[in-house]
Amino acid sequence: MVDLRDITVPTDPDEALAAVVALRRLADSIERQAVRSALRQGWPWSRIAQALGITKQAAHKRLSDVAADNSST
Amino acid sequence: MFQEIKSKLNDMSTVKRLCERAEAHALQDHQREPGAEHFLLAALDLPDGTARLAFERAGVEPEALRAAIERQYGDALRSIGLRAEMPTGTPMSANAGIHQAAPSGREIMQALAAARKGHSPLLGAHVVGIVAGMSHGVAARALRALGVDIITLKSTADAIAEVGHAKTFDR
Repeated sequence: MVDLRDITVPTDPDEALAAVVALRRLADSIERQAVRSALRQGWPWSRIAQALGITKQAAHKRLSDVAADNSST
Repeated sequence: MFQEIKSKLNDMSTVKRLCERAEAHALQDHQREPGAEHFLLAALDLPDGTARLAFERAGVEPEALRAAIERQYGDALRSIGLRAEMPTGTPMSANAGIHQAAPSGREIMQALAAARKGHSPLLGAHVVGIVAGMSHGVAARALRALGVDIITLKSTADAIAEVGHAKTFDR
């Protein structure tokens, strides 16, 4: 378990911004893995979208290839 | 005239190959839109060999770039006190239709277009020279992680591109 109080934001902007980029990439990766898992458990896109706090259209547009991959495996 | 048309056709083929390889590297990296780092990897794939030559003359192992890109993400997370492994990626497929690049990738394409108004042939070394001139972002951090002196890499790549340009006009 990560204690968020242990997170320190570097004072060097280049370092801090690089950490933001890496966190976004990590979040994207976790999102795709979670959506794949949800689809395998039979979640409809409306439920996935609601859980992500975005519209069904936005979820489908960004993540529909996860569905394609899910159906092929 | 014929030489100029031939040169333009060759360029279009090289640009297409560069963009396709950059997109393939981005998808392998679980990103849909290629950034500067993916264009740099794509430049190393170009058959003219000038990008690889620039790396080697600057004392950098071209094959080490991909690992350095990945490593800089881990380094960035560690800089805020996080130690995380990226989850094993869910495969990503390309956008349907037109190629789209991330902003840093678009910057590369714009710089290539602006630098090549004299119809010099596009070479991998041109891409290396442009990326080496970018001081921030994933590509810059990956090059730093490799211990690259980016000033040396840029001047080496620019010199190789200039010689390549001269050779083409000599033909």
